[in-house]
Amino acid sequence: MTEDEIRRENTIVERSKSDPRAFGELYEKYFDRIYNFLLRQTDDEDTAGDLCSQTFVNALHHLPKYQFRGVPFSAWLYKIATNEVNKFWRKNKGKKIFSLEEIKVRELVERSDEVWDEEIIQRLLTYLKDLPTDMLQVLELRFFEDKDFREIAFILDITESGAKMRTYRALDKLRQHFNLKVKYHE
Amino acid sequence: MSNHEIRMRRKMAGRGADRFRNYGDVLQRHERELRLKKILRVFSMVFVIMIVVMLIVIVVRIERRFDKKSNATRSQVDHRFR
Repeated sequence: MTEDEIRRENTIVERSKSDPRAFGELYEKYFDRIYNFLLRQTDDEDTAGDLCSQTFVNALHHLPKYQFRGVPFSAWLYKIATNEVNKFWRKNKGKKIFSLEEIKVRELVERSDEVWDEEIIQRLLTYLKDLPTDMLQVLELRFFEDKDFREIAFILDITESGAKMRTYRALDKLRQHFNLKVKYHE
Repeated sequence: MSNHEIRMRRKMAGRGADRFRNYGDVLQRHERELRLKKILRVFSMVFVIMIVVMLIVIVVRIERRFDKKSNATRSQVDHRFR
């Protein structure tokens, strides 16, 4: 996201503080991303839809307190969405779900020598299942949502170095287990 | 045992999202919650004011009772010395 885009977004946010209707522009811009993020963590369209609406209601509610902290506005929405989905799983006492799009996984991982097949997918699922949840959260934000480490740190309330550490560890394990070349940009 | 489950989805999301996209509804919910919050704030303020008033009344009554008692004992003592 460019500096100009961030500045433009902040202007809309400031306007929305006094006129909530102005927030509609940001709603339209981020609705799909937040919805997909929630769908990935619930695997249920209705639940994702409800949580998504609640995320934006909460955002509108807390907008007067919003302050720019060096990360795009979307990071703040992701933070609220993360809190909502965590609240949902706490309330329902269920296991947290990560429902990953196969096409995204394919994009993420470039096989160097073998062909991508069902067996590899199953092995990858088992591997991801055994990863600690916080590590998986970082991986999801980094590779499925294209967030940088500063944003991930802000969303998950951890330090930037903590976010990097978790990603490196998870990727190292992935490389060891699968002999894969994982696309990785600093 | 891990505390999450991994699933693989063949189809991308996205299309289903349109069913839930409704900013008017979000705005309405926000305004409703805001109104509810205001009402709750007014109620809690009234409640706090009532408690303070009740405390003041109780303290004043206790003080009056003490005053009456001390006046009674003083008059008894005065009466005895006369």
